[in-house]
Amino acid sequence: MKIIETSRRKFLQGSVALCVYATSSFSSPIFTTKTSDKKVKDIPYLCNMCRNKCAGFARVENGTLTKLNPNQYFPKSRNMLCPKGNAGIQALYDSDRLKYPLIRIGERGDGRYKRVTWDEANEYIKDKLLKIIDEQKDNRSTVAYCNGEGFNKDEYIKFFGSKLGSANFLDEGSICLNTKLGATQLTIGDIGEMDVAGSDYMIISGANRYESLITPDSVDMIHAKQKLIVLDPRCTMTAIKADEYLPLHPGTDLAFCLSMIYIALKEELYDKAYVKKYFQDFDKLQKHILKNKYTAQWAEEKSHISAEKIERITREFFAASHPLYYLGRRSVWSANDFQLRRAMVLINALAGSINRKGGIIFGKPFRLKEEEITEPFYNNAEGRFDLDGIVYGSQKGGSWLNFREKVINQTAPYTVKVLFVRKHNIMQNMPNITKTKKMLTMMDLVVVLDTMPSDTAMMADVILPECTYLEREDMVVSFNRLEPSLALRNRVLAPLYESKTMQDILKGLGKKLSTPLFEISSKYDEDLQDAIKEQGKTKAFNEGGYNLAELYKDDISTRNKKLILTQFDENVYVSLKTKGVWHPYIENQKNLGNDLYEYYPEDKRFYTVQKKYKVNCFLKKLQKYGFDAMPTWHDRYDFKPAKDSFRVITGRYVTSTQTATTNNMMLKDMKETNRLWINAQVAKKLEIEEDDYVIVTSSVSSVVLQAYPTNKIAPQVVWFAHGFGATAQELTNAFGKGASDNMIIEDKFEKIYGCATMHETDVNIRKL
Amino acid sequence: MANYGMAFDYKFCINCHACEVACKEENGIDLGAKNHRLWIQEDGNTSGDFWNLDKDKVQFMQMQCQECEEAPCLKACPNGAIYRDDNGIVRLHKNLCDLTMACMHACPYGARYVDEKRHVTDKCIFCADTRLARGETTTACQITCPAKLRYFGDLDDEKSEISQILKERKHFTLKSELGTKPKLFYLE
Amino acid sequence: MNFIKKIIPMKDFTLRSLMQFEKTPLNMLMFVITIALLVAFGWGVVEYLVHSHHAYNITRQHPWGLLIAMYIFFVVSSTGLCIVGSLGDVFGFKDYMAMSKRAILGSIVTILAGFAVIAFEIGHPVRMLIYNVLSPGLTSAIWWMGTLYGIYLTFMIIEFIFLMRNDMKNARIFGLTGLLVGLAAHSNLGGVFGFLNARIISNGVFYPTYFILTAFITGIYLTYLMYGFRYKMQIPDDIKKGLLGLAKIQALLLGILMFFETWKLMTAVYGGMPGRADTAEHIFHSAGFLYGEVLCGMVIPFVVMLATKWQSIKLYVFTSFIGMIGIFFMRYDLVHDTQVKPLQMMKITEYQLPPTWIEYFPSAAEIAIGFGAIGIFFMLYYFGQKMFELDATEH
Ligand code: SF4
Ligand code: SF4
Ligand code: SF4
Repeated sequence: MKIIETSRRKFLQGSVALCVYATSSFSSPIFTTKTSDKKVKDIPYLCNMCRNKCAGFARVENGTLTKLNPNQYFPKSRNMLCPKGNAGIQALYDSDRLKYPLIRIGERGDGRYKRVTWDEANEYIKDKLLKIIDEQKDNRSTVAYCNGEGFNKDEYIKFFGSKLGSANFLDEGSICLNTKLGATQLTIGDIGEMDVAGSDYMIISGANRYESLITPDSVDMIHAKQKLIVLDPRCTMTAIKADEYLPLHPGTDLAFCLSMIYIALKEELYDKAYVKKYFQDFDKLQKHILKNKYTAQWAEEKSHISAEKIERITREFFAASHPLYYLGRRSVWSANDFQLRRAMVLINALAGSINRKGGIIFGKPFRLKEEEITEPFYNNAEGRFDLDGIVYGSQKGGSWLNFREKVINQTAPYTVKVLFVRKHNIMQNMPNITKTKKMLTMMDLVVVLDTMPSDTAMMADVILPECTYLEREDMVVSFNRLEPSLALRNRVLAPLYESKTMQDILKGLGKKLSTPLFEISSKYDEDLQDAIKEQGKTKAFNEGGYNLAELYKDDISTRNKKLILTQFDENVYVSLKTKGVWHPYIENQKNLGNDLYEYYPEDKRFYTVQKKYKVNCFLKKLQKYGFDAMPTWHDRYDFKPAKDSFRVITGRYVTSTQTATTNNMMLKDMKETNRLWINAQVAKKLEIEEDDYVIVTSSVSSVVLQAYPTNKIAPQVVWFAHGFGATAQELTNAFGKGASDNMIIEDKFEKIYGCATMHETDVNIRKL
Repeated sequence: MANYGMAFDYKFCINCHACEVACKEENGIDLGAKNHRLWIQEDGNTSGDFWNLDKDKVQFMQMQCQECEEAPCLKACPNGAIYRDDNGIVRLHKNLCDLTMACMHACPYGARYVDEKRHVTDKCIFCADTRLARGETTTACQITCPAKLRYFGDLDDEKSEISQILKERKHFTLKSELGTKPKLFYLE
Repeated sequence: MNFIKKIIPMKDFTLRSLMQFEKTPLNMLMFVITIALLVAFGWGVVEYLVHSHHAYNITRQHPWGLLIAMYIFFVVSSTGLCIVGSLGDVFGFKDYMAMSKRAILGSIVTILAGFAVIAFEIGHPVRMLIYNVLSPGLTSAIWWMGTLYGIYLTFMIIEFIFLMRNDMKNARIFGLTGLLVGLAAHSNLGGVFGFLNARIISNGVFYPTYFILTAFITGIYLTYLMYGFRYKMQIPDDIKKGLLGLAKIQALLLGILMFFETWKLMTAVYGGMPGRADTAEHIFHSAGFLYGEVLCGMVIPFVVMLATKWQSIKLYVFTSFIGMIGIFFMRYDLVHDTQVKPLQMMKITEYQLPPTWIEYFPSAAEIAIGFGAIGIFFMLYYFGQKMFELDATEH
């Protein structure tokens, strides 16, 4: 049984993109460079191996990047660099990197491309795009665009959304954390930030902070003097390190939370003064919870956590001085996820852990001014359709699964013919890959901006090589709320090969597209026609903001300088350029021992701020749409996989970030492949031993990988890490290693935020 | 002139491998899972069945050359290629190493391996020819560790952080019964 | 040539005559075997030169392999033959006088074969030669062993020269010093293992003494084999007496060895000391130990000698062959067993079964070089026989 078609002969024609190291036993290839004993000037940069953006210093010797080191000035990353951050060098020097613009010459997906110049690539895009937009009568939303990288996302949206005029932007939010953001926003009016360091009693469920590192949370947890309770259907590293680990059935955290609320209300453990002051519809909540009898015994039945423990932990939690129920991050696991996150927020609120030390804080982030641009108005551009049937949904990033479904079923109000993809591996990152493939096949033009020949890149018509984060300067960014700071990614090296920064790529595209697209609009857009009549073409073009590359008149360092100097002063600018970071206490940081620092003095941190807000127990809009207005348990949430089948759950290794690091040489050394975690006793019955190959089959597809029988997972649950099973042969280190979870996860999504629910798929396991 | 040692607050370790990657990048260690100057050892297993799991035995130990004061590797080398440098670190004269591998055979901690690139034996030397050589006072693993559990410093300097912490806290060394007198300490 | 002959008397020979031998089936067989072994050796060396240590199956956990074992095999043989050779010319036992020359030649060629093996085991043999002198590692048992073996070889050659010149007085002097140096070198080889405080199974006094004992045993086996071959089993009387005497000594030595081994294992297992007891038990259950070391190396020869009341030389030649197989296993196991218990008993990655016993099986190149060196021994011995008069019985 092969999971990957290896028969496809793939090569990027005419390009040297596939320079595979000749690995013979004669000489092992050298990938690491020893640093020298010379002193050199270190360049401050921000990591981009995952979403955290830790700060670091890069050591460059003779034009070669030899080492990345942590940056002690950044409050967020606490002077550390994780394994991925350290392995960033291998991302820069990955021999499989995309090096030149490429245009597809074979069938979509067969991997045959020809090397072209940037101008040829832009010309090609222009020709196709003009034809399509003309056909679509200037409906700019026929161009969908998506982005998976945090940095530069807003600029990317400015280009395709504000300037080019498309409504269809998609990002990772709907396959990641939108329910959590939404639940917090809707319940307490702000997304807030969790003060892990300040908490003395913390419950984590559905998050694995020691393997999926989030700074500063993960670091703070290690050092905080707190009791840590972890709920997880798998004994993760976080569970191992917890003071108390409560194994439970997948998707039943909500039962635990409801029971906590029940006990708190019943035993009146909650912070009465706080509730009185801030809660809206508290009586409704009280009545609802008590009426439904979410007792500890009830929750034990649902979750498998003993009633005694639930009661004890609830009491301990509410007795603690700074309790925190950790809200998680990558969070959409089950259909009840939105209400689960709401329940968590409500628990924090009942304990009064909002806007105070050790709770969900609002803080005081630095607000950076936006750079101003003129946005043209397109009368014929239609609105987005992927939020149809979704109660709230993110207006910004939409709902991927709903979008995809509507495109492939052709139920969208208009056809989407073009997709621009930037650093978003959609062929691996959302459930049911087969459907994504189908969607891409239906497009007339797919353009991918990326650094690696990912599975998605190999589905593109045009591949534009973006440089890595180490080869570019980015706009200054504001981080965090409790100890706010500014950080700036400086350029470490000039872009390698023919790769370019996103700004330069968009600038090139903008120059090519602006005028011809303007011509099309003037053909269909009556308002524009009027304007031209009034002002003449040039003026209408200029004042209407039709120059797509407007933002890129100046280069990034000029823009940065301008922005920082208008809002702050020279010192801030110098600090950002030389230290990569600025915060008000940067000159007086205190070393707390072993190079851990105190950034803001305790009394200067924004634990509590003046802010008007309410805790909303009852969401009327949800009631209106026929959903639960308050967290409620339904029988369909019960964990009941069919006999002999398993619930498949997913997660991550500490050494990988989704599929982005999958080809990294160094990280491959640490964890080469993923394996199927299966309960040891169950495995024994099925005669599955460690290293055996098993086939995992769901209703959508099947994958093959090696088994890892262990007592660290529940009998009816199996787990394997996300980030493996690449099918692009161009990824020479990753190809053929492990299996991809999204191959078999069913594409279900909840209807409140349109988020993919990752833990709702049952599978069968058979030994090969 | 110093007498460098390291102390580990080992219970903090989350087995993230940042130290290992940082070491490999800093010191140009060959790729390949078997080539490493440092590694993390999983001490103890989870026991019992899943619903009653005992996970408290699981510990992660930071392993690397123990910088023995009485170093068996140094004594075993027929060519006198292994020496102790001014900072008390057990080092290797690379051009003297004949690759008899007597040192690998003699080291009680399995700390040594063959550096394929330079064709000599290698082990952790506290970044002596990279970071320390350019005047830095941290090792690659120490500074990158998210848990900051690695204390590195001069054991002879009473005021150094490591000396202080060793004074304050209980600690143990590995295989101390062999009389190797390791300079790596594990804090209780 | 004449100049050399002035120093050391040789037979008259030409290149041609060196290459000629009686084409008996046994000789032909030996010829073919020798050539095959030499070819293997050559192939192994090429493999090593091209792939360096990648050609070997040695690892971080098991850095010493078959080649070290074969090196030990050869140097132990050499020491053994030196002891046997010394019985006559050094200690003056009349019965063994006649054997000295052959045994000493044997000891020289075996150690040369050993050096040929070790040269391809260590990564930089030339560095070793240079820095052995320039920066001696005085605390290193290997240094002492290597250096002493070097001196030993020199003395052996000088002794051989005097033997050939029938200068028994000088032969005795150099023989005695050579023997003492050889024993010192040899016990240091034991020390290489005995000093390993990391590997409690080897640590201690056992190996240095055991090495001397087994060397003597090996020397006797080899003497039997050499004479058995030389005289095609028709042993002349003057040698016969000596050989029969050796049988008695051998039986005694084997008895002592068995006694030693028993106590070594018993003490190792007793008390259940982790790292020692379990390793000893593991060794006790390994085929190499049971069938190789115990059965071939000790029990069969001992029983045969006992059963035949020290009278059946022909049989002893055959049992000596079996005995040498046993000796090989003793060397191989010695090297392997020292490393079989991992220093690292814990997992270092999640997807790994916890380490149990370290596995090692030599690679093709290791086998080719290790056993190919026996071809070198055969070849050198053959030329030695052709060039020197080894049977001169009267001094
Ligand atoms: S957590 Fe690691 S990969 Fe992520 S930004 Fe920080 S150092 Fe980089
Ligand atoms: S970096 Fe620190 S926490 Fe991570 S594995 Fe190394 S010692 Fe453990
Ligand atoms: S741990 Fe091993 S390599 Fe390090 S000094 Fe001790 S004996 Fe030598």
